Amino acid sequence: MVILEQIRRKDYRLGSVAVFLLLGMGVLLAGLWYVQIISSRQYEESQRNQSIRTIRIPAVRGKIMDRHGSVIAEDRPTYSLSAYLEELRPHFRSAWRENRPNRKLSHNESLNLQIAVRHQVVSNFVARIGLDAPMEVSPEDVERHFSELRALPLPVMSNLDPSSVARFMEKSNQIPGFDIEVCPTRHYPEISVAHLVGHLRKDVSVKEETATYNYRLPDFRGVIGLEQTYDEKMRGQPGTRTMLVNHLGYRQSESLIVPSQPGSHVYLTLDLEIQKVAYTALSNSGHEAGAAVVLDVNNGDVIALTSYPTFDPNEFIPSISSKKWTEYRNSKPSPLLFRATQERYPPGSIFKIISGLAVLESGVVKTNDFMYSPGQYRLGHRNIGDTAPAGDYDFRKAFKHSSNTYFIHHGLVCGIENIIQMGNQFFLGQRSGLLPRQEVAGQFPTPKEVKHNWHDGDTANIAIGQGRITVTPLQMGLMTAAIANGGRVFRPRLVARIEPADPDAFTEAMTFPQGKIRGQLRVNPLNLEALQHAMWADVHEADGTGHRSKIEDYAVCGKTGTAEVRTGGRRDKITWFASYAPYERPRYAVVVMLESGISGGLTAPIAKTIFEALRDRDIELSRRPNGALANN
Amino acid sequence: MDNTFAPSQKPRLNWVLLAALSGLMAFGLAFVLSATRVNELFAEAAWYQQPFSKMIAFYTIGIGLAAVVCLKDYHQLARYAFIGYWSCITMLVFVLVPGIGATRYGARRWFDMGVFQFQPSELAKIAFLLAMAQFLSRPRNELNNPDTLLKAIGLTALPFGLILFEPDLGSSLMLLPPALVMLYMAGAPAGFLKKLVGGVACFITASLLYVFFAPQAWKPIQLPDYQKRRLMVYFGVDYQTQYAKPNATPAELRRVSAMQRRDSYNVAQAMISVGSGGLSGKGWAQGIQNAHGYLPRGVSHNDFIFSVIAEESGFIGSALVVILYTTVFISGIRVAGQARDRLGRLLAVGVVVMLFSHVFVNIGMNIRLVPVTGVPLPLLSYGGTSIVCSLLALGLLQNIQLHQRSI
Repeated sequence: MVILEQIRRKDYRLGSVAVFLLLGMGVLLAGLWYVQIISSRQYEESQRNQSIRTIRIPAVRGKIMDRHGSVIAEDRPTYSLSAYLEELRPHFRSAWRENRPNRKLSHNESLNLQIAVRHQVVSNFVARIGLDAPMEVSPEDVERHFSELRALPLPVMSNLDPSSVARFMEKSNQIPGFDIEVCPTRHYPEISVAHLVGHLRKDVSVKEETATYNYRLPDFRGVIGLEQTYDEKMRGQPGTRTMLVNHLGYRQSESLIVPSQPGSHVYLTLDLEIQKVAYTALSNSGHEAGAAVVLDVNNGDVIALTSYPTFDPNEFIPSISSKKWTEYRNSKPSPLLFRATQERYPPGSIFKIISGLAVLESGVVKTNDFMYSPGQYRLGHRNIGDTAPAGDYDFRKAFKHSSNTYFIHHGLVCGIENIIQMGNQFFLGQRSGLLPRQEVAGQFPTPKEVKHNWHDGDTANIAIGQGRITVTPLQMGLMTAAIANGGRVFRPRLVARIEPADPDAFTEAMTFPQGKIRGQLRVNPLNLEALQHAMWADVHEADGTGHRSKIEDYAVCGKTGTAEVRTGGRRDKITWFASYAPYERPRYAVVVMLESGISGGLTAPIAKTIFEALRDRDIELSRRPNGALANN
Repeated sequence: MDNTFAPSQKPRLNWVLLAALSGLMAFGLAFVLSATRVNELFAEAAWYQQPFSKMIAFYTIGIGLAAVVCLKDYHQLARYAFIGYWSCITMLVFVLVPGIGATRYGARRWFDMGVFQFQPSELAKIAFLLAMAQFLSRPRNELNNPDTLLKAIGLTALPFGLILFEPDLGSSLMLLPPALVMLYMAGAPAGFLKKLVGGVACFITASLLYVFFAPQAWKPIQLPDYQKRRLMVYFGVDYQTQYAKPNATPAELRRVSAMQRRDSYNVAQAMISVGSGGLSGKGWAQGIQNAHGYLPRGVSHNDFIFSVIAEESGFIGSALVVILYTTVFISGIRVAGQARDRLGRLLAVGVVVMLFSHVFVNIGMNIRLVPVTGVPLPLLSYGGTSIVCSLLALGLLQNIQLHQRSI
């Protein structure tokens, strides 16, 4: 109308100015319409994008439990004191004003002073809370956190004890910007299982994940042992938290959009009580190193599998100090080596179980045939010593006294091929597949190898478990179990099942079948019985080498062994005791191995301790009303 | 022109204009408060140092001065036009003298008065309008004389040059539209106006070509670098064409693109503010852009107040602001149409076009319609001199209406 007014007055110039102004304002209005209405969504999205940070929260890791549900590894809540930097900002600023010198600072000076001021503010507040422990973060830590993870709380003290938590709670309303954070931390109550369980390490790798995260909370990955083998299962699904931040990267608010899914629990066939007993017996034996294997002879389940010395997997959480790590790596004997499966040992006389069986099967000798032993064996120019005195020996007596002469003589007569064939029935020189990264196959000659450059001396050595043969304690355990159970060689089982932590979860439980037979011995049952009886005699007769493992009401059968090894010019002895019990209805096989042992007789008491524990445990469990809960 | 068709009425206050102005001032107070309440710089200041309190003081001073201006017939005021003009020119010269003029953001634009910073270029705009109106109100046939026209151009060029030299490109450019429109309204020959508009257009085009495309060696005069970069941001010119040498290393290229991101940051954030407001906005004091500091704290209550308004009150609020301004302009055009003589008419049009230019450029830069220039939004931007001078100019407008009958 203002235009019309001017036109009516023939004031065209003013009219055109009015048109010009209205056009200009119209353009603005159209522009605003375009930006605020038509493209509004696009700008809303930009706004969201620039102020949202996503954080990956690792899930609670699944537990590892023994056959009775005792915890072997679990995530426990630990309390740490964290500083919320966004709430401390006003304090940073006022401290900065107080500390700033009057002169003009260079850029670097100013930056350094700011770092120092922030650290000082945080440590002053921590001091005001009045906890006993000192603050754990250095100015560098504060700076790194400030520049990279500003929106996240800065942990200043970890592993607070309950009294510190209580003290903080009393004062928390007077002190701004601090809070207690609960975070799951891996904990291993027992170190006897350290090698089996393995350990974790901080995971910094960015795996292919569907979502990309701005921040990742510390996550751990199993690097060895069960923690590594079942890492995927135990880890669960990480969750996502989003955080609204301002342009400086401080947190404004946050929300949890995807909660993490806890990882599955792993149930073992292991009995933690027996494991502890075995480990303690090894460590108390006065020997530097050793291993013990306890198997259920009727299904191959691993009841205990331990190695001494060991390490503490808790030391890898949150990360192992380089000092400790070097110490572990350099100490001798190595605590990192899992002697039960990871090292090759000459079996010594316990191999007479196999060579004896081979000799009997070949028919070159009957169990009641006697032969005279002069107390040593002469092979060519070489004298092989014998701990068994001169005299007449049948199979049982030879086995009980561990007569080298008897086994070498008959071994040579029956031939190396028969011994190899028998050893192969026990899968010597092959991995059992129990621990993917921690198992060696051992060495055992193949039929091809013995065709060339093979001498009687080599056969003589093999017959008494020396020379070109090495085994692991686990292999000897499986061998003993097969003898005990009448010829079934089992595939050992350690993990019984894996179950989701949340029973309602969609993930299904995994069960590992029990008693998978790997092979059946093709031997005459009478010969096996003779061998079993010889093992019984070795323990129960006063002149047997394994007499020291005898238990009054529990019929232990066993075989001792001593093997000589040369390590770096030093002569050393590996002593063994391979045993099972009870004789009438065999249940458990126990193999004990000691490095630098003096004689096989010393390993027998360790086995005895373990058998006593097994016996008592069985009695105790049978009395429990829900003893049947013992899985399987 | 004659007022024969003007409705005969008693001189009275322009209530529509006053209502629109009150509306704008209410917006100004509300959103300067919203924009500064989260600003920690002010959080510790005393109540009388708060921008909100100062804003009330500026409005009061401005309204008071405007009322004083209305007491005297604008003819009497116009007699002092050239005294005012030359005083302002003197101040513009003095502000350039180091030690007298205060420097902020690399430009010497202010007199530090202790309590507040006085920006002479704002006052010069009013003085220029008065002087130009007075000069051009001579009988129309005199305007055919090239000397008169040249003088008029000179009258514009002197403050333009001085303000440009501060440097304050935005403010100096604000003088051109009123000057052109006043010449047009005064009845300058069409041929002259065409040449003038053509000349200005050619000058601007040539300057842009010069800034962007002339080889470095040919540039004896350098535009301040930040102005050049603002223009490059507006025209979307890739910094690498201007700043990176042909054999630049990747690190240098990264540095240049980081610089580009930094420079386009304000505009990009202003666009996000305005756009994310949507139809009805996020509500007063609920703006995320400002609260989280994506809009630079130093300018959110100042040159970028409109983006705070737009984010918090949405299209409804920003359209209301545009309509209120339009109401002011229409009232102003009416006042011009009803003015009793050429002086009143020219002065009214000058005031309206001057205000319009500020509004258009300021709101335009929030939606990337025009390049970023430091031009305040009249009455809404926090800035003492700007508010007082805008109210003074509007007082002149009211004066012309009040005295349209008395001779």
